Amino acid sequence: MTTPLENISRRDFMKYCAATAAVLGLSEFELATKVSEALVATRAKTPVLWLEGQDCAGCTISFAGALNPPIASLILDTLSVRYHETIMAASGYEAESAYHKIVKAGGYVLCVEGSIPTADDRFCMIGRRPFREMVEEAGARADAIIAVGACAAYGGIPAAGPTGAVGINRIIKHKPIINLSTCPVHCDHLVGIILYLLTTGTAPPVDEIGRPKMYFRELIHDNCRRRSYFDNEMFLTDWNDPTQKNWCLYMKGCKGPETYADCPVRRWNDGLNFCIDCGAGCMGCAEPDFYAGMTPLYTAESGRSRNNRSRKHASSVFPLKKQDMKGGGQK
Amino acid sequence: MARGFEALLLGKDPRDAPFVTSRICGVCYSVHQIASARALDEAFGAEVPWGGTLLRNLAMAAQFIYDHILHFYHLSVLDYIDIMAVAAYRGKDKALNAVKDKIAGMLRAKDTFPLTPRYKPDEISVTDPDTVISAVKHYIDALTMQAKARNMGAIFGGRQPHYQSIVVGGFTQLPDVNQVAKFRTMLDEQAKFVNEVYIPDVLAFGTGPLFPLAKKGLGGGHHNYLAYGALELDRTGKELVFPPGVIMGLNLKNIKINRFNPDKITEPVKYGWYRESISQHPYDGEQVFDLDKKDAYSFIKAPRYLGKPMEVGPLARMLVARNPDVLGLLAKGVKPGAIARHAARAIETKLVLDACYKWLDDLLSEMAKPGFKIHDTIHWEPPDTGMGTGFYEAPRGVLGHWVKIRNRKIEKYQVIAPSTWNLSPRCEKKARGPIEESLLGAPVPDPDNPINVVRIIRSFDPCLACAIHLIDPTSNKIKKFPVE
Repeated sequence: MTTPLENISRRDFMKYCAATAAVLGLSEFELATKVSEALVATRAKTPVLWLEGQDCAGCTISFAGALNPPIASLILDTLSVRYHETIMAASGYEAESAYHKIVKAGGYVLCVEGSIPTADDRFCMIGRRPFREMVEEAGARADAIIAVGACAAYGGIPAAGPTGAVGINRIIKHKPIINLSTCPVHCDHLVGIILYLLTTGTAPPVDEIGRPKMYFRELIHDNCRRRSYFDNEMFLTDWNDPTQKNWCLYMKGCKGPETYADCPVRRWNDGLNFCIDCGAGCMGCAEPDFYAGMTPLYTAESGRSRNNRSRKHASSVFPLKKQDMKGGGQK
Repeated sequence: MARGFEALLLGKDPRDAPFVTSRICGVCYSVHQIASARALDEAFGAEVPWGGTLLRNLAMAAQFIYDHILHFYHLSVLDYIDIMAVAAYRGKDKALNAVKDKIAGMLRAKDTFPLTPRYKPDEISVTDPDTVISAVKHYIDALTMQAKARNMGAIFGGRQPHYQSIVVGGFTQLPDVNQVAKFRTMLDEQAKFVNEVYIPDVLAFGTGPLFPLAKKGLGGGHHNYLAYGALELDRTGKELVFPPGVIMGLNLKNIKINRFNPDKITEPVKYGWYRESISQHPYDGEQVFDLDKKDAYSFIKAPRYLGKPMEVGPLARMLVARNPDVLGLLAKGVKPGAIARHAARAIETKLVLDACYKWLDDLLSEMAKPGFKIHDTIHWEPPDTGMGTGFYEAPRGVLGHWVKIRNRKIEKYQVIAPSTWNLSPRCEKKARGPIEESLLGAPVPDPDNPINVVRIIRSFDPCLACAIHLIDPTSNKIKKFPVE
């Protein structure tokens, strides 16, 4: 990649520093140091290739909700978003050409949003090409691969439908994939992982189904502020009743006892609120069998919990084994 | 692209539907959720308490505000300006110079993604450095504003995108006064941006450098407009921010608005990759894919009203409402088309903002009453059988959900989304869809740089993530709409 320093001769650079330093009242040396730091920072912009398959763009919108650091700084200062159908200014053939350029160059962070149909490629075609092919092609030349959201991680809601939707781990094999599996992706998870990759140059430790341990280690139930009501079997039955407002949502279908994610601690949207706090309960969106295994959502007996009788002692339930991660495909 | 939402809902607990259908679109999540909940409300016989409706409206309003800001600044503005003009800015404004430095830095680093690549500016593109640099600054400011507007919605919605608190019968979160105060504070910030930046920018562009384009009515289309109506201003539901209505073949000298009759909607699939069904009414519609169907070219069905293709969205809503500001612009010579759509979008953002202040006041007075309710708990369990429709207005136009329940499970589910109306392919009568029609006659002097095509399509605010690869510029024609 061409760096700004390569474009400016050293003589010009020092001249520029001298002139600017005089204006700012700094010594030339101080300013030169500061400016080089800034230039080095711009050199480090990481190329990102973001593909959208069978998606709803909700993960993009979630990412666009970043406030700390702000999204403007992420997409203009930190990252070099070479291809992203929603964010990029390009469209049509120009967009396709941008895609081919970055794939050819390689060495990018690949973010995939949305699932991939396996029943028939024609369920998801981009520019008359099967989306599946693009994922394979882009995956092969990526430095790091992030499955952004439940659909890309394990198939998500589309996996319960007729298109044979799967996560990218069924398409890109033999390469590690970081699964950020909530629906939509938690903005902090995505921004955090990107910053982790940039800072350390390595992938974060993940659990056995590819989710970063730093975000998915603990059961929602174990960190839930309504937990004492669960233990005392005080369950909310009427959303209008102020005395029940903070009671356990188990009878309203909360899947917190079988879902691993840090939502109760981190909360959502800059700590503003989250599913359990707003009285609706957790719908298990971080788990590989979401949504097919979680329906019916609003009763205590989901498909998953019927198979897992020990739900009441759910804090002793371990993460699913690999064979359970097919994700959906109900009926 | 297709995912089969309607098919995957069959046999499910009906209460799942608002949560699941929210995922049809991560941009207009709350609209699907609320339309779905309204269809279930009817099917369950649930009466949403006024408190529940107010909370739904406030959550929905946050979506309108964010979506319109994002559409203008992040999905449209770059089509109308020559961003390189910032380099010629000579003013002294500190903030604007910071923008200039930022863009200059990106240029020096030869890394101007995602602002480029893009189609080349043409003779319409705004090149005045002062105008362009302030637009780019507002692009950056608006990135924060759209995120904050969504967070405002999450105060009641639980989290965003994809709210959690909207269910059949009402709402799940009993609000407290702190939340109302927080919403109001965040609303003030949005109001300031909308009134002092967004609306002035749109009007300055539309009546200034883009006025010739506005007068031509580029991207006009059929001039048939449809609004279902939404957002109750009182508990009777009679007074709405967006009234329902139908305009067939707009005549500006005498705007005739007909009553909206839901029974007149049909959804033919002749050119869609779907098996033909006997009935075309959404209640009986089905989603059985047929990818090998002859002549089919779209996953989009072709909804029609009285057999006609209809434009939906802000311009349709504001015309049906006879909004004085929009009619005023038309009186000044702006013709219904791409620029008028942007103007209508900005003007209706203010209507929604103003309604929010009223809803917050109403909510506080409701909360103070003993027995304040947000949910119809009696009708929470699914009925044995039932049917219902949920009509609503999304930022990009009318949205309808149709549900039939049998044995307490979903028997049929149909959604007609706004972009389905606007992007619809031809129907069996060969009538083009609204966007197809609006592109006819669009000047494309350089087939490799079809910037007017992009301007027109984007003015409808279609679900862009899906609609990006539409055009075959080699023939100067729209060839296919290959995705949902």
